[in-house]
Amino acid sequence: MSQMVDEGVAAEAAVGLGVPVEKGRDGAGVVRFFLRRPGLVLSIVMVVLVVLAAFWPNLFTSRDPLTGVPAQRFQAPGGAHWFGTDELGRDVFSRIVHGAALSMKATLIAVAVAIVVGGLLGLAAGFVGRWVDDVLMRAVDVLLSIPALFLSLALVTALGYGTMKVAIAVGIASVATFARVMRAEVLRVRQATYVEASRSCGTRWYGVLGRHVLPNAIGPVLVLATLDFGTSILAVSSLSFLGYGAPPPAPEWGTVIAAGRNYLANAWWLTALPGFVIAATVLATNRIARALDGEWTRR
Amino acid sequence: MSPTLQSTPSPAPRHRGRLAIAGSFAAVSTLLLSACGSGDGDAGTGSPSSGGTLTFAVGSDAGCVDPQQVGSNDTIYSTRQLVDSLTDQDPATGKIVPWLAESWTVSKDATTFTFKLRPGVTFSDGTPLTAQVVKENFDAVPKLGIRALLAKSYLAGYAGTTVVDDHTAKVTFKQPNAQFLQASSTFSLGIESSASVRRTPEERCTKGVSGSGPFTLSSYVPNQSIALAKRKGYAWGSSLFKKKGEAYLDKLVFKIVSESGVRTGSLQSGQVDAIGSVGLADEAALKGAGVRLQARANPGVVFGLGFNESRPLFKDEKIRQAISLAIDRAQIAGTVYPSGTKPATSVLSHTTPSYTDLGAKLALDKARAGSLLDQAGWKPGPDGIRSKNGAKLSFTITWAPVAATNQPSLELIQQQLKAVGVDVTLKLIQVAQFQVIQQKSDFDALWGNITRADPDILRTSYSTALANIYRLPPSELDKLLDGQVAADDPAERAKLVGQAQQWIVEHAVVAPVVELQTELGVAKKVHDLTFDASSRIQLHDTWIG
Amino acid sequence: MRRYVIRRVVQAAGVLWAAYTVAFLVLDYLPGDPVSAMAGQGLDQTSTDPAQIAQLKHEYGFDKPVLVQYAEYLGRAVRGDFGDSVATGRPVTSTLADALPATLQLTTAALLLAILVGGGLAVLATYTSMRWLRQVLLSLPPLGVSVPTFWVGLMLVELFSFRAHLFPAFGNDGLRGLVLPAIALAIPSGALISQVLAKSLLNTLNEPYVQTARAKGAGRARVHLRHALRNASLPALTVIGVLAGQLMANSVVIETVFSRNGLGRVTATAVGSQDIPVVQGVVVFGSFVFVLVNLVIDLVYPLIDPRIVVAGRPA
Repeated sequence: MSQMVDEGVAAEAAVGLGVPVEKGRDGAGVVRFFLRRPGLVLSIVMVVLVVLAAFWPNLFTSRDPLTGVPAQRFQAPGGAHWFGTDELGRDVFSRIVHGAALSMKATLIAVAVAIVVGGLLGLAAGFVGRWVDDVLMRAVDVLLSIPALFLSLALVTALGYGTMKVAIAVGIASVATFARVMRAEVLRVRQATYVEASRSCGTRWYGVLGRHVLPNAIGPVLVLATLDFGTSILAVSSLSFLGYGAPPPAPEWGTVIAAGRNYLANAWWLTALPGFVIAATVLATNRIARALDGEWTRR
Repeated sequence: MSPTLQSTPSPAPRHRGRLAIAGSFAAVSTLLLSACGSGDGDAGTGSPSSGGTLTFAVGSDAGCVDPQQVGSNDTIYSTRQLVDSLTDQDPATGKIVPWLAESWTVSKDATTFTFKLRPGVTFSDGTPLTAQVVKENFDAVPKLGIRALLAKSYLAGYAGTTVVDDHTAKVTFKQPNAQFLQASSTFSLGIESSASVRRTPEERCTKGVSGSGPFTLSSYVPNQSIALAKRKGYAWGSSLFKKKGEAYLDKLVFKIVSESGVRTGSLQSGQVDAIGSVGLADEAALKGAGVRLQARANPGVVFGLGFNESRPLFKDEKIRQAISLAIDRAQIAGTVYPSGTKPATSVLSHTTPSYTDLGAKLALDKARAGSLLDQAGWKPGPDGIRSKNGAKLSFTITWAPVAATNQPSLELIQQQLKAVGVDVTLKLIQVAQFQVIQQKSDFDALWGNITRADPDILRTSYSTALANIYRLPPSELDKLLDGQVAADDPAERAKLVGQAQQWIVEHAVVAPVVELQTELGVAKKVHDLTFDASSRIQLHDTWIG
Repeated sequence: MRRYVIRRVVQAAGVLWAAYTVAFLVLDYLPGDPVSAMAGQGLDQTSTDPAQIAQLKHEYGFDKPVLVQYAEYLGRAVRGDFGDSVATGRPVTSTLADALPATLQLTTAALLLAILVGGGLAVLATYTSMRWLRQVLLSLPPLGVSVPTFWVGLMLVELFSFRAHLFPAFGNDGLRGLVLPAIALAIPSGALISQVLAKSLLNTLNEPYVQTARAKGAGRARVHLRHALRNASLPALTVIGVLAGQLMANSVVIETVFSRNGLGRVTATAVGSQDIPVVQGVVVFGSFVFVLVNLVIDLVYPLIDPRIVVAGRPA
């Protein structure tokens, strides 16, 4: 779990380690771009699969994730059950597929909270400036000084347990980073000549904001959001692993691993395979974020 | 071990001499002996030797190391070793035998109990055991907090203790109290030193107490470990102990490891010597690793769903009955619990004195459950969950992770109830919170059991005059429960206990589900780790070798 | 210089005060009724009684206006008193102090491991001229930040405790018990270090003075280690604050996985039993460490890197 990674630092660090820049004509260029990056293609496939599973789980499995066949409990992975079965004879693969809906929903909510709240704060700070900027940025500094997981835990203590509450707690914990990036972008764009020009032409402030500032500032925020997506998956699954997520039998990814941990000694697949899925999903979103950040634009 | 036994005798080579054959037979018989030793957990191979440390992994910490105030098995395993009781109970016969009391007399009407104390007993703080100390212990029990639910119910109707002489204490009750003699053998009424009982209940919990037991507390780190050391000069063991004098083991370390998977793995890898609460899931692997499994069915109230009758839903007897009928007890016992565990056939387990078999009334009958719910006005909705006047038929089961078997059992119950249109939410609470939740009746239905080798546990649980955690209305049941404790004729008492069980099951005060069978995993090198009458452990006679 | 130090210290104190305020707002203000929440924890056996609840509220000062409560709490917090744990009745400060050494031991071990392995990886990746090796090494850090820490811990237990019987699966006992949790904890931190250091190294290697050193005929290894690494490590120092927070946060999960006693486990238990004073203490302690580490870095940085102008905030 790396929600403590300062996304800014991580994003920055990721840049520059990529594959050397190449140029090409558009159509062929795109193809070549992807051909040279099988890892990126694989990542996109992975994310697409997870999203499909979250919305249409029946595409992948027809088994009931909640009701099992007790007589078939603890079957090791095989043809009949790809990921084996758990202590009540439930199909683990089906639980992971159906759990994607819960875990993805929580992650999306977390990222949305971070973007909306953080984005608005950053926008206000950068656009209004002066004392508003000072006050908001001091507040952001304070939020950044509390380790993200601790802030999430405090919120969970106050709000109570459940997927929604965990999602909100994780989202609020990354508000500060978004506010910072958004502010920096707004400041950069604001000073650009065309914005200055537009202003001097008498365009209203909301016009400037909507037409020029937002569209130009949002790019890096979206890159950060992609990166935050992976971070949030980890944070949400950590909190549900600790037992603060949805109560059983909900197959949230972290919860499934926490339950499987009771049989760690003799049924490795109950923890190993769900964890593998989480790791693969996070890896995939991080790889995509890196591509969005540098490689694609430099193409 | 068994493959060696089968293979050794048959291929006795012909061309060898007599001596060799004799030698191989000698080897076989030793093997036989050792196989028996490790299989049964009795009579070890070598002779018992003193010394060593036993590391025992348990799943939870009740947050209290005062035996008078704890009720959860995981913590009793350690705290039981700190204190001695006035009497002891033979696990084989149920008979009450001497321990700190050499002898006793019970008045005909079961209101007065006179204990003659053994001389020369001292507590770990150096003070001697006297009748005055016994009086101070019992006087303090009613003032203990909610944690001491058990101890308080054993002393219900307590009138006082008279110090007849230094070694004679006379305990009197306002009403007849037939269960008290058995209660005097429990850890809940284990005798602590005068200084200990004068402390506040909270202090006793966190700092521990001085008892006269075979071990003393050396450290308690909440949620981490409880360490005990041998009491030097201990010479007043129960008449059931095999070894006279001090215990064999120097140290006992109880590690709190909440994941059963980690406990199991650590026993297999040798990091710990014994573990509590083995589930069906780990049996095969543990046996494969040469671990000895010891099981004993706990007497007392079985695991079940206790309904809070102050909740409107559970005021309706039909709903409670329907839930009880919809539970497939055999499936739960067979899927989750150690092999040999019996589904509930009464509110009491079959090892409790005066148990009555009501299995026919506790059989799975989904059709009847459905029709009872129909009668009560709960009609199936489009999602399969029943509803009435727009409200869904749903309730919450509150549970604490005291045993690894709890969560899978409850998930099965959840599935089984869903099949008849009842929606269940599971609410996990910390072990330390359990008694508070009970006391406040802050639950819809509570999952739990209580172990006691006396049927009076029914009164503790369901009398409206005591804690009444299920908020039952006063009823016929109270008369039966009060009647059995007052009965001086054992046959009469058994009859009343039988009627009480019948009443409880028929009116579905609780939906009994499965008996608790305590299963311990014990490494081969540990010998004579034995169960007491309540299926908790006695470690005085345990040795490593 | 002195004015700079004073200003930074005052700033740090200000951030800490604000962090306390956030913790107060979230934990004491957000829950509708903290007393009922506390009463549910066995604080007092007769707490179902409304009169008792009122009395409890009075004792804790919840019947006073929020600002008065806040002022009182802050006054106590400044003196290091965060009240008593609701679940155990012990003072929060001593609960945390008792748990701290074990966590400090674990996080220090993990930090050393992370610096050694993460740093080594970055140096090797930028030094090697074998393309495939560089590719492999550079793909490790992204992997390291993507795996769930709790899962890594569980897999280590499965492989090295249950199968290989090499290390204990749980507990605080000795150095052997430290190995697996330290490895699990070091992975995300090591990944972060190697990402930052590799980037910094690449930048430094392109700087003119390095090129000059090369041109003067200094050996490749010598240039890489003596000149580049030395200068490239400075920017990497700035992430130490982030690392401190990351290690503390991840220890919540790792200590739970390995059933180790420590600050993390205390935190997880406190959240599990809604033990508000303890959670509050942990949050404030966490930001204290973060602020302290950053303060030290800010104060030390100008001393080791003369290029930094003292007047501005370095970074």
